[in-house]
Amino acid sequence: MRARDDSRKGGRGPSRAAGRRGALLRGVVVGLVMLGCVAGVVAFQVTRPARSAADPAVFVPSPKFFRDLSPSFRTAVADAYWLAMVQYYGEHVKGDGQFDALPAYVRLVTDLSPRFERAYMFGSFALLDAGEGQEAYELLVRGARRNPDSWRIMVTLGMLIYTYADSPDKDKLAAEWYEKAAAVPGSPDYIPRVAAELLTKGGEEAKSALMWGQVYATGDTYARDKALVELDELLPRDPQQRKEALQPLAALMTPQQFLTLSSILMGVLETP
Amino acid sequence: MSRAFAIAANTFRETIRDRILLVILVFALAMIVASLWLASISLGQEARLMQDFGLVAVSGFGVIVAVFVSAGLVRKEIDKRTVFIIFSKPVGRGEFIAGKFLGLSATMAIVVFGMTVFLFLLVWAVAGEPSGRLLVAGGFIYLQVLVVMAVTIFFSTFAAPVLAAVLGLCVFAAGQLSHNVLSLTQLGENAVLEGLSWVVFLVVPNFSAVSLTPVVVGEQVADWSTISGWGGYLVAYAVIMLGLSWLVFRRKEF
Amino acid sequence: MEREPAAAVSIEGLRKTVTVGFRRRRVEILKGVDLTVGEGETVGLLGPNGAGKTTTLKIALGLMRPSAGTARLGVAGLHEVGYLPENAYFYDYLSGRELLGLCARLLGLSRGARDERIAEALKEVGLQDAAGTQLRKYSKGMLQRIGIAQALINDPRLILLDEPMTGLDPIGRVEVKRIIQRLREEGRTVLFNSHILADVGELCSHVAIMRSGEVVWRGPVEDAVPSGGGSLEDFFVQVVTEGAVEPENAESGSPGVTR
Repeated sequence: MRARDDSRKGGRGPSRAAGRRGALLRGVVVGLVMLGCVAGVVAFQVTRPARSAADPAVFVPSPKFFRDLSPSFRTAVADAYWLAMVQYYGEHVKGDGQFDALPAYVRLVTDLSPRFERAYMFGSFALLDAGEGQEAYELLVRGARRNPDSWRIMVTLGMLIYTYADSPDKDKLAAEWYEKAAAVPGSPDYIPRVAAELLTKGGEEAKSALMWGQVYATGDTYARDKALVELDELLPRDPQQRKEALQPLAALMTPQQFLTLSSILMGVLETP
Repeated sequence: MSRAFAIAANTFRETIRDRILLVILVFALAMIVASLWLASISLGQEARLMQDFGLVAVSGFGVIVAVFVSAGLVRKEIDKRTVFIIFSKPVGRGEFIAGKFLGLSATMAIVVFGMTVFLFLLVWAVAGEPSGRLLVAGGFIYLQVLVVMAVTIFFSTFAAPVLAAVLGLCVFAAGQLSHNVLSLTQLGENAVLEGLSWVVFLVVPNFSAVSLTPVVVGEQVADWSTISGWGGYLVAYAVIMLGLSWLVFRRKEF
Repeated sequence: MEREPAAAVSIEGLRKTVTVGFRRRRVEILKGVDLTVGEGETVGLLGPNGAGKTTTLKIALGLMRPSAGTARLGVAGLHEVGYLPENAYFYDYLSGRELLGLCARLLGLSRGARDERIAEALKEVGLQDAAGTQLRKYSKGMLQRIGIAQALINDPRLILLDEPMTGLDPIGRVEVKRIIQRLREEGRTVLFNSHILADVGELCSHVAIMRSGEVVWRGPVEDAVPSGGGSLEDFFVQVVTEGAVEPENAESGSPGVTR
């Protein structure tokens, strides 16, 4: 009887067991290598410092850099920098209060997208916070020139002139912009009233309140927050007087907006 | 012409079954994620940003898909030897090119308009009803994609697929910078350079002048006669490229 | 291509030169091919690899242009020709039925005729059950059979088959041989390349042998395979390696060619 030749048959017994052990070992080694790689990748990423938009050394290119872009993509670049600008402002306004790159952001966004109305309005308030009043004024003048159909930019410019300009004719200058805004088709009815108010003598606080009320009614989150702060400073501390002073603002906004505004400004008086 | 339509139907079937339409799904997912993110950081401008970025994404996805589908057009038929099946029958070279282009155009119509309609509905859901100009802008992107396809098909008649794809993308990029070439033609310093610039300006498709994205976001105004003129330019350019493709392809041996 | 009713395929002095390589070196693939295929003949075109068989067929079909000489088909047009290329693959995502439908449309068949011919072609090659399956799932043999089906979809008068037996199992080969036999009995003209000389000897009425871009022998199969002994294979090797031999039966009139 011939002895069985197990090796020729591909291995029963010890050979097959050895083969299985080898396969298992290879599987373990490959698994460990993969696990190590995954751990390495995750560890590397997790330890990367987040690039803060509050980094004062932010680089904002000049609009000329993007001038050669196709119009299809110019607005997309403007939008990307709009996002970056909003983030930058938000982080610095809560943080160190330094806005070195803000003028460059605003210039870039509005030059690449000259009809981006919101960029002018937000940008002007942000520049005011950054102490760049003149820059804010020039921004809005550019915006009004590029957007002759935007009553909002003109109204904002009028408000800015009245509130921050250091000129004996500021009432008249502000009223002129309100009148230009009133001439734009589709502008709200209250604008001529505000223009008329500006031209009457006295009642500085009331005029300012009217304009900040308009900012609250038409502005974004940041503008509304700023309007609340300013109104709180302008309006009388006495609850009854404050309530009376708030009434003219009702004509500038929806009932819901006015309710919210009143609640906040009256509620502030109750807070110790 | 029925042979061209037969080839078109076949091409459409092949590309659709090749799961090209998955790109719409990828686009849709990307836009949903982007819209959620934008809503929280755009300060009330999500409608504008979604439309702007969305149209850039439609254009980007559309051009990339079109280029890679068109680039292998001729080589794939040769490698698969299906070119022998086609041309051993009474099919003209022009019918083949026309049929291939029509089939790919039908596929890209689904891709581009699928993405555009999704974008339209998403903007509506997130930020209120967008302007119908968004859909027209999608239509214009489709015309640009057709031009890029025609250009890439032209390159594919004599170049390898990778090279044809790269050249197609380069022409798309050059087309976005066409107005820069125009400024070169007006330098007035060197007649040879000016002449060369004019040739390049005329040859490269002027995508920068025929985009509706700025109109959608309110940066530009365009009336229907202007838009029709732009559309006519793009269609004429595509026809020229297909004609050139035929001229090259008719001399090709397999 | 020009049309002449005298022969199904008439090739005279056909030359083809191509350029290869970076230095564009000129290589003469066909050096003056003379070949006539009469109506109703079944001709096996033999030759070692690189002899120019496929190039000859392609020029006859208009897929390539000759550098010199002429290639004429004695049929009204390509809609009367069926062609199976060598090692063909097909559109991955089409089903067998869709491929035949495409070919039928390209040949200008009407809708009614299309459906009828597709059903017949599928039955002929035994692929009725796989007709709805995408071609990327077909085996090599199935692809070869669907290729034959598309070559026959238009009920052609002239059929050109390039290596029709490639990839077929023995059963597949028997079926293809049966098809070619039927075509021969119906009086169609068939010209096919094959390396399987036994099949050629069995199916063909005539044989043409090519070597280095020329036809070096052409004649009836009987002249290549004498009844007394020897095989087509032996004859083929002798012709290709040593040069052509004069046909044994000179009275047949077969034009044995000596190079």
